[in-house]
Amino acid sequence: MALETSLEKPAPVRQVATAIDGWIARLGTVWVEGQVAQLSRRPGINTVFLTLRDSVADISVPVTCSRTLIDSLNPPLVEGASVVMQAKPTYYANRGTLSLQARDIRMVGLGELLARLERRRQLLAAEGLFDAALKRPLPFLPRRVGIVTAPSSAAERDVLENARRRWPGVDFAVAHATMQGPRAAGEVMEALARLDADESVDVIVVARGGGSVEDLLPFSDEGLIRAVAKARTPVVSAIGHEPDQPLLDLVADVRASTPTDAAKLVVPDVAAEAQGVASAQQRLRQMMLGLVAREQTGLEALRSRPVLADPRTLVAERHNEVALLRERARRTIGHALDRAADDIDHHRARARALSPLATLERGYAVLQDHAGHVVTSVGGLAAGATVSVRVADGRVHADITSTTSLTDQETTP
Amino acid sequence: MTETPSYEEAREELIDVVRRLETGGITLEESLTLWERGEHLAGVCQTWLDGARQRLDAVMEPESE
Repeated sequence: MALETSLEKPAPVRQVATAIDGWIARLGTVWVEGQVAQLSRRPGINTVFLTLRDSVADISVPVTCSRTLIDSLNPPLVEGASVVMQAKPTYYANRGTLSLQARDIRMVGLGELLARLERRRQLLAAEGLFDAALKRPLPFLPRRVGIVTAPSSAAERDVLENARRRWPGVDFAVAHATMQGPRAAGEVMEALARLDADESVDVIVVARGGGSVEDLLPFSDEGLIRAVAKARTPVVSAIGHEPDQPLLDLVADVRASTPTDAAKLVVPDVAAEAQGVASAQQRLRQMMLGLVAREQTGLEALRSRPVLADPRTLVAERHNEVALLRERARRTIGHALDRAADDIDHHRARARALSPLATLERGYAVLQDHAGHVVTSVGGLAAGATVSVRVADGRVHADITSTTSLTDQETTP
Repeated sequence: MTETPSYEEAREELIDVVRRLETGGITLEESLTLWERGEHLAGVCQTWLDGARQRLDAVMEPESE
């Protein structure tokens, strides 16, 4: 039912307003869920004006409601409350505004709240926001520790004091935020973003000293959960220890049971660490000293071996060897000489036994011519020749006067 | 041999030299050469150990004062 208009035939305001009203009226009544962001009761007016805000997106819509309906609610409606209402989108033609006209408002009860939280938890878990793989380790020694907490709260004091006790040099960046009520989620997200943007902040602690399930609702806020999941800096959740843990505990990189516990997690006990380092150093040195001492002992054992300690033994051994050999050589030569002497004596005796001397002593003589040849025949000897006669104790030199051949004697006288 | 051997190399060779000297069966000239080598190696080992001890002392002495 688009209006047929043109420059020559424009529609009057009332006609446009009526058309808008018609379209909106056709939406009929709806059930809508949200958070009461603003509630204003104007005295003397029977209508109460509310602002209903989406629990995730920054979208809100004005709501009108009769004072009777508001007053009938138990517990009374306050800002920040989660509600489900039956309302009819209505267009107020005289002011050109749109609002939801509430016909029924239901407070979201505790059981209902927990059921919703559980559904939200399952949805976000299915998305993988709580995956263990996404958990980042905390730095051992953070340059700065970011803290999101309520101004001058016990939680803030607990974190600061306990962390300083462990490591006096710890540096904090505190970002204060309302930690309760409808503004809490938004302010915590803001504080978180501020600290996350600070390059020197190495870890962020979100601290609050516990509370009821309703008190802790902002820490299950979907927007905050997504912001923590996206944060560059590791986040520690320190929202007291409650049986129904807020979703922040699940999405945080580390969950601390209390703000004090968070202080212990983000800062090392420097005294204990220093002692550990000193003890390790001590053991290291003892080990090195022992090693050098052992090697020194081994080296000295090697050096004290005779072959190295007194190299003269190397020569002395050979010297002894030479002396022994010389001794043997001398002995051997002595024996050989003795044997040779015996041999000579023996031969001499034999020679003597064979010599003609004994025959000569019996009266025989040996005749030798002038050349020393033994004469055995008169042949060749002539009268006047000189001969020598060998007798036992000397020689007789004689001249031949004549010769007689025994064979001739028988024939010639 | 121009490069100084490591402590372990020097010690292993020193042990070998002593073993060969003690086993015998080598010429006098060889044994003298071996002994000189052994003395040199023992000196190298000692230098290493002295150096190690000095480095330890250099760290520990200023603290004990």
